[in-house]
Amino acid sequence: MDNSFLIYLERLEMMAFFSGYPLVYALAHFVRGNKPAKNNFKQRLVSLLSYAYALVGSLYLGFQFKKLYPDYTIAHINQIVQVPFMAVWGILSIFFWIPFLAKNTILSLIHSLLFFFFLIKDLYLQFAASSPDEHMVSNDMNVYTVSLLLNIAALFLTVFFSFLYNKYKKVSDL
Amino acid sequence: MIKVMPQIDGCHSNSGITEIALFYQFINSNIKLLFMKLLSNKTLLLLLVLVSGYGYIASCTHDDIVPPAPATPVPIITRGNHIHIPGSMTAGDTTQWKLDKVHSSVLWSGAYVGAAGLLTGRFNQFGMHEVTNDKMLNYSTVGQPLKDSSWAFYESDPSKTYFNGYVQINTSNTGEPGRDAGCNVSGMGTVAIVSGVQNLTPRNLAKIKSTKVEYDPLTNDYLVTLSLTWHGYDTSAAALSNPMTKSIVGRLKYIPESSGLISRTGSLYSVFGLQLTFQFNCRDFGIPSTSVGDVIDIECNMNFNNL
Repeated sequence: MDNSFLIYLERLEMMAFFSGYPLVYALAHFVRGNKPAKNNFKQRLVSLLSYAYALVGSLYLGFQFKKLYPDYTIAHINQIVQVPFMAVWGILSIFFWIPFLAKNTILSLIHSLLFFFFLIKDLYLQFAASSPDEHMVSNDMNVYTVSLLLNIAALFLTVFFSFLYNKYKKVSDL
Repeated sequence: MIKVMPQIDGCHSNSGITEIALFYQFINSNIKLLFMKLLSNKTLLLLLVLVSGYGYIASCTHDDIVPPAPATPVPIITRGNHIHIPGSMTAGDTTQWKLDKVHSSVLWSGAYVGAAGLLTGRFNQFGMHEVTNDKMLNYSTVGQPLKDSSWAFYESDPSKTYFNGYVQINTSNTGEPGRDAGCNVSGMGTVAIVSGVQNLTPRNLAKIKSTKVEYDPLTNDYLVTLSLTWHGYDTSAAALSNPMTKSIVGRLKYIPESSGLISRTGSLYSVFGLQLTFQFNCRDFGIPSTSVGDVIDIECNMNFNNL
């Protein structure tokens, strides 16, 4: 077995974390509508998208730490991480905790589109192949579903804590 | 949408921060322009939903995923109804089974100095007779001193299965004559080999006797409780007259009967095998030698035929 299988597994891991975000992003914007929403919840849903994405990125970072435990040496990282560029790209998502970057939710969408591209690539390969292997796409879609659920959960969690924080702030201001 | 196209000119800018801010504004504005159009038309959502929908449809294999069959918790055990008994060991009687001593062996092994690889050897002289006190003698013969007839094997009724066996300690053969005739004799409390004599005296005899044979519930084998009797290192008169006996559990494997073989004389015959393995602690018998570890493995490979 060469490294291609390990690379594929690593790609699936990244898809599990990030590939569901674009659809969640689009849904959140759809819910809000094009006009500025009067509904506070809808508005907050969109404004917190980047933070939800950063939360998912943090979970991904934690997952990488767990994979490397207990040896965090460079040699071990080189051995475990098959596609360093992709891994670094995934970890970069934690920078969306920075309000300056989080304000532009479009950047988080661009960041996540790379992982959604994997799914499109597999769909295209399946579509173009003379004898398509449905199992690979089936696998991808299972991972994609998990990713959707994870990103939705992350968004609602972020919104929930945001409301809690605001409530606490209002009380303390009084 | 964009009203300002900032000029990035490093020579005329007042500070690096302004440049970065302008560049960021430029990128941000253009990206926003591109994606806002998509968002406003809900194209992005439509696109993503279409791609996802296609993915779910394409991934449907229309096959039920059959989970692998669970590992059976019950081992598959097949036992026949063979019965093998020695009878009076009459030559030519195919119903009577004889120990094929020439093709059998009793092997021992133990970790060298208790810490390294195995030290191994075999006993050249052994048999399957119950050597009672009155038979513990020197026999002037080069063949088997006693008939190998103290055993019976019932494949489907282990309660009827029994066996006896013995080895002559001084015939231990490790392939090193200096060891076999030297420290083996002194270290095992026995006497040197006398040519043409089969020494079954208490000083040179170790024997086993099965006390219980039962099915192994997990394999085709049988679990055997047996008693191992040997004086060990102690060669006092008391030890020789009343040697130590230890109860041991071993494993008996039956190698089923194979028939249709033709002997050198042209007669048809059958064979079967019994393999007994067990361990004992040589320190229990007072063996002081540190050349071997405490635990000694014994493997008895007994082949029988009905010639």
